Amino acid sequence: MKHEQSLADVRGVMPQAPGRPLIRVSGLEACYNGKPAVRGVSFVIYEGEQLSLLGPSGCGKTTTLRCIAGLETPTAGEIVIDDHIVFSARQGIDIPSERRSLSMVFQSYAIWPHMTVFENVAYPLRLRKERANQIKLRVTEVLRMVGMEAFIDQPATNLSGGQQQRVALARSYAYLPKALLLDEPLSNLDARLRVRMREELKRIQRQFRVTNLYVTHDQEEAMALSDRIIVMRDGVIEQVGKPLDIYDAPCSRFVADFIGAANILNGQVAERRPGEAVVLEIGSARLACAPRVDMPAPNAKGESLVAVRTVYPELRRGSKGTSVNCWPATIKERILLGDIVNYVVEWPGGVLRVQGFPNMLYLEGEPLWLHIPAERAILVDADEER
Amino acid sequence: MLRSAHSTSARKPVSLPVLALVATLVLIIGYPLLLLVAMALNVGDAQALLPTHWGLANFIRLLRHLDWIRNTLLVALAGSTFGTALALLLAWIIYRTTVPGRAILELLVTIPYPVGPLVGALAWSELASPRGGLINVLFHAFTGSHASLVNVYSVPGIVFVMAIFEAPVAFLMIGAAMRQMDPSLEECSAVMGAGRLTTALRITAPLMLPAILSAWLFLFISMMGAFAIPTILGTSSRFYVATTAIYMLFQGYPPQYPLAAALGLVLIVFAASAVWLYTRALRGRSYAVVGGRTYRPRPIDMKGLTPLLFAIVCAYIVVALVLPLGILLVASLQRNSNITLSAASWTLHNYRYVLVDFPTTRQAIVNSLLLGVGTGTLGTAFATILAWVIHRSRGAGRGILEQLTMVPQSLPRLIFAAALLWMMLALPFKLYGTLFAVLIAYTIVFLPLAYRSITGVVVQLDRSLEEAGRVLGGGWLSVMRSITVPLLSPGLLAAWVLLFMVSVREVSASIFLAGPGAQVLGPAIFNFWDSGGLPQVSALVIVQTAIIFVALVVIRSVSRKGIAL
Repeated sequence: MKHEQSLADVRGVMPQAPGRPLIRVSGLEACYNGKPAVRGVSFVIYEGEQLSLLGPSGCGKTTTLRCIAGLETPTAGEIVIDDHIVFSARQGIDIPSERRSLSMVFQSYAIWPHMTVFENVAYPLRLRKERANQIKLRVTEVLRMVGMEAFIDQPATNLSGGQQQRVALARSYAYLPKALLLDEPLSNLDARLRVRMREELKRIQRQFRVTNLYVTHDQEEAMALSDRIIVMRDGVIEQVGKPLDIYDAPCSRFVADFIGAANILNGQVAERRPGEAVVLEIGSARLACAPRVDMPAPNAKGESLVAVRTVYPELRRGSKGTSVNCWPATIKERILLGDIVNYVVEWPGGVLRVQGFPNMLYLEGEPLWLHIPAERAILVDADEER
Repeated sequence: MLRSAHSTSARKPVSLPVLALVATLVLIIGYPLLLLVAMALNVGDAQALLPTHWGLANFIRLLRHLDWIRNTLLVALAGSTFGTALALLLAWIIYRTTVPGRAILELLVTIPYPVGPLVGALAWSELASPRGGLINVLFHAFTGSHASLVNVYSVPGIVFVMAIFEAPVAFLMIGAAMRQMDPSLEECSAVMGAGRLTTALRITAPLMLPAILSAWLFLFISMMGAFAIPTILGTSSRFYVATTAIYMLFQGYPPQYPLAAALGLVLIVFAASAVWLYTRALRGRSYAVVGGRTYRPRPIDMKGLTPLLFAIVCAYIVVALVLPLGILLVASLQRNSNITLSAASWTLHNYRYVLVDFPTTRQAIVNSLLLGVGTGTLGTAFATILAWVIHRSRGAGRGILEQLTMVPQSLPRLIFAAALLWMMLALPFKLYGTLFAVLIAYTIVFLPLAYRSITGVVVQLDRSLEEAGRVLGGGWLSVMRSITVPLLSPGLLAAWVLLFMVSVREVSASIFLAGPGAQVLGPAIFNFWDSGGLPQVSALVIVQTAIIFVALVVIRSVSRKGIAL
């Protein structure tokens, strides 16, 4: 929670025209295997929103999701879904899963092996006592949307991982739940299929327009699929924001490291005036950074940390273009990865990783100019206190 | 339990080891069965080993004894159903609810199985026989009534004792399936709006059905071949099942081998049909992931019912473990067959008698230990070779080899031992009446158990671990010595101890084969019981149980799984 307020004020993290609050989680605390896993988490999911909980394993994101689903019992806090309190430690309310009108896609897909594809998808509809011909229509419709209508009468055990995934999605959309919870739905697929399913999922999300809460440890998934991302760490919320805002302005060293690739440089503050660039002394370089109202926490040595994404520094042959944040530098190492090229660049501040593209290749040992745009040098929390 | 090996790709030549093993199994399992069939068709000289005249007269004579078959089916059906239901209840309480102390309960619930049916039958006859049974004695003392409260010498009594002593096997099988079920299958149902009962009926029950049926079938076959319990609890009231009838036919004068063989054959046909029906019923429906990961689903908090559930498990442990061992311990300390509960008149004399003074029991204890070591070693070695060839070699015929290996499981052990006896009598050298004969019988009848226990270990050992050793320059022998054997050894040791344990407590397979020169514990206890002397029998049973407990402790310390089945 520590940054939600300030960032919301500064950059307006709400998506354009948010709907009304659909799920409200406040002060949530929960244990996993007897150890505290969620330690005071509060957030809101708006109607129609695609929200991701992102973080490394053990950060409490799945436990948070399972608490909302009613599969774990929190030790403290309150969960409100569609104006109904479904859990409140203080009031002793704990509505069971089946009466929360939610839907969920599990990491293991949870396709029932003793049923056919049709029976799997029809299950939630039958529970709702829909008429048989209605069920038939709806099941066919959702299976067509995920491209699985040809498998309708197959036993579920015949399906591959990707196919099970599609059926799980169809099943969870079949009955128009209030919100859909997804627990790392792509993590069991191989890398290639994962990318394809990610795009597919995006398409399906657009078609169904159901509120989504998506748990993942994969930053690309979170970026691609969400309106907003909540980054979690050690059971608390580290940062909340739109994908690009979190990418461009990570609040802490942890977020900068976890999302995208960043250089973390440390140095002493040399200049700092309200509304103007903060200047750090890094090695023999003076790096102008994006202005800040309040300075983030320094590290144990009293140095301030600045994050520079590897994609933003500019390398240039020939003449020095600008006077601010421009230094002579040398390519120390070049790693060609195909679509992208990584350079290790030596500059007065030390070494810097810079990402380039094969259309403009530099040679190892080549002297050139390095430019770091000041608005791309983001001061971050050292996050050493935890 | 009846998992097929794997779909072997067609048109691969049958390899030499597969061929050799198939031939061996056919010889040691098929040949005795062939003799059994021959004997059943023998209408000539009843004492001849090979029929002089062939015919179906023995089967026709069986028609006059249909009650034997009816009794067998009755007891086995009722016992396996009750036992499976009990096991299901215990497994559900222990694995799926918030009952306290589940680790210790899980262990205690499995112990009645290794303790064994002979011990169970003896103990319960001491507890609940209509006249001298302790429960009835106490009942008389408290109420003054002369009616008996419980009578274990009855069909319900037999069914009850069978069920409580076989239930642990079903508990292990059902418990394993419960832990292998992905909890998200149930959670998903709940999130989608199904209440607890709907989820239980439409998701959990169908998914558990294969394991439950499989456990039921295992119990059914095992109870059809049960010998100790119906003999001790049934014969005094002239209640005969197939096995006890066969024993009677053997012991009678003159022995009626052909009729016994015909009866045995009928029993085998019943067992085989049960297996066939089961395989048909479950075709394409076994969802259990063999050797897959296990889960710890979130246990259901039964709130106010928890003490009741805890009490049910405790009641089972009392009835199947505490009371039986308690009464035997007390009985073994008595001076005579009248049980007194006052410790002042207790004596250790009976232990001195069975351990030192009486040569037959002393010999039986030594022989049983030797036999346990022998069966453990031979059985583990043979099963390891089988498991290795079936799961690690390539080539056709491995599926057949695995099925052959599992055949003894559906053969009642007493009947197979009888068939083996005829085979041994036909041999040109003397094998009958030696420990070696019993060793062979044990190795064959426990082969499925050993194979299953070792398969788990072999399958878990990733091939790449060995391949890494080979790539790094180790020869076959050095890879075996430095990688394979150390990785396998805990599992092999566990299988060894398991075989040791079941050999020490076995009766059915040795009752015919253990002659006067080769007395072993199970038959010795049985004969001892037959000729009276309750305190001495109890002492011998306690000695046997003590040996089994030592083995159990060893198993627990080498493998966390406890009794692997």
